[in-house]
Amino acid sequence: MHSASGQDSSAPFIRSVGRALPPHYASQEQLIAAFRELWARRHFNLERLEDLHRNVQVGGRYLAMPIEAYPALVTFQQRNDAWIREATALSEVVVRQALEQAGLVPADVDHVFFVTVTGIATPSIEARLANRLRFREDLKRTPIFGLGCVAGAAGLARAADYLRAFPTHTALVVSAELCSLTLQREDLSIPNIIASGLFGDGAACAVLRGANAPGAKGPRVVASRSVFYPDSERIMGWDVVDSGFKVVLSAKVPQLVKDHIQGNVDGFLATQGLKRGDIRHWVAHTGGPKVLESFEEALELDKDALARSWASLREVGNLSSASVLFVLGETLEQVAAKPGDYGLMMAMGPGFCAEMVLLRW
Amino acid sequence: MAELELEVVAEIRRIAADELEWKGVVEPQHDLVRDLQLDSLGLTVLAVGLENRFRIRLSEEDAQGVRTVSDLAKLVVRRVASTARPPTEVRS
Repeated sequence: MHSASGQDSSAPFIRSVGRALPPHYASQEQLIAAFRELWARRHFNLERLEDLHRNVQVGGRYLAMPIEAYPALVTFQQRNDAWIREATALSEVVVRQALEQAGLVPADVDHVFFVTVTGIATPSIEARLANRLRFREDLKRTPIFGLGCVAGAAGLARAADYLRAFPTHTALVVSAELCSLTLQREDLSIPNIIASGLFGDGAACAVLRGANAPGAKGPRVVASRSVFYPDSERIMGWDVVDSGFKVVLSAKVPQLVKDHIQGNVDGFLATQGLKRGDIRHWVAHTGGPKVLESFEEALELDKDALARSWASLREVGNLSSASVLFVLGETLEQVAAKPGDYGLMMAMGPGFCAEMVLLRW
Repeated sequence: MAELELEVVAEIRRIAADELEWKGVVEPQHDLVRDLQLDSLGLTVLAVGLENRFRIRLSEEDAQGVRTVSDLAKLVVRRVASTARPPTEVRS
């Protein structure tokens, strides 16, 4: 239950958001060329598949591995071992970056929420980071697997919940998503071909500080709301198969957004005494062009309200849970927000579900 | 109904069951969107499956007059007839 108002003195602060992309860039045309031979094994009309890749409006992706290294990754173990190695390395980069921006050091951190849906590790990635970064021995760790694209917003909301209970503490939300390492090359189904055109790799880390932490400043997390859509389990997710994660992706996602998001947003904002017109900064997950269009249409947004989300989609693709944190980071750094401005983060993911996070500068 | 048209309907039934998780029956008079509940992705999966099976290309323009399973089967039959490769060379 969230009933905080914009004046709530217990609302935690977002101090910084670090972001990093892996070094191996491939343009969409390079990726299409790499996939073409594979597609031709089963499919006759390759132009149709190329169009599917181009229609997602992604210019290219940054990949965890060089493009020529992927065919050798055949088993789940090979993919997941690569994932553990690269996710740990990229997570270290974003945590160091975010802490530096916040003027903090690893020993200042009380709790790390680590979110991902693209690989599994035990000990989990934040434990491996503890050894690299030397977090304190009493660090609390909450690894979250399975929320998918919604986990950037949901992880931030759960960290804010925690900081209301421990208002002097500092929490990190670390998201590492290496979607390219989940790709099932032998899965030549249309949903997998679309996913291979849309999803990219990246990591992000948000630093949040409780209301009573020394030197806390930045936009506050005023409130959040989770929304679960019953009986929609096959809209999005993984079928876990011997070779790893096989994508489940329905074209119903944009329609779900159109059908529900206006009521969800209006209902949530009403609990805070707000209306859509009160929101100055929209921070939307870059689900894909149809999802962003659905947000714009259902919420009756100005054409440039989601400009940062569109730009992120074009530049790096859908980074799953990291995407909304990328857009949040760019909002913090690029927007001349005034004190009192409201912002709304929105993301959706497997369940099917949504998470909304109300920010106030 | 011609033999090839029956073969196309059978292939539509296979794609619906195997690739689209459709558990109901598929009859020629069924509306693709209303009765089989196909969305844009489902229609693409169906089109790609038929292109692969019958070695044809279906376009956006082709889809204009297609509403039912029967309409789609007839379109595929016309496409097969208009391609150089005879249907006897079709491979799955």
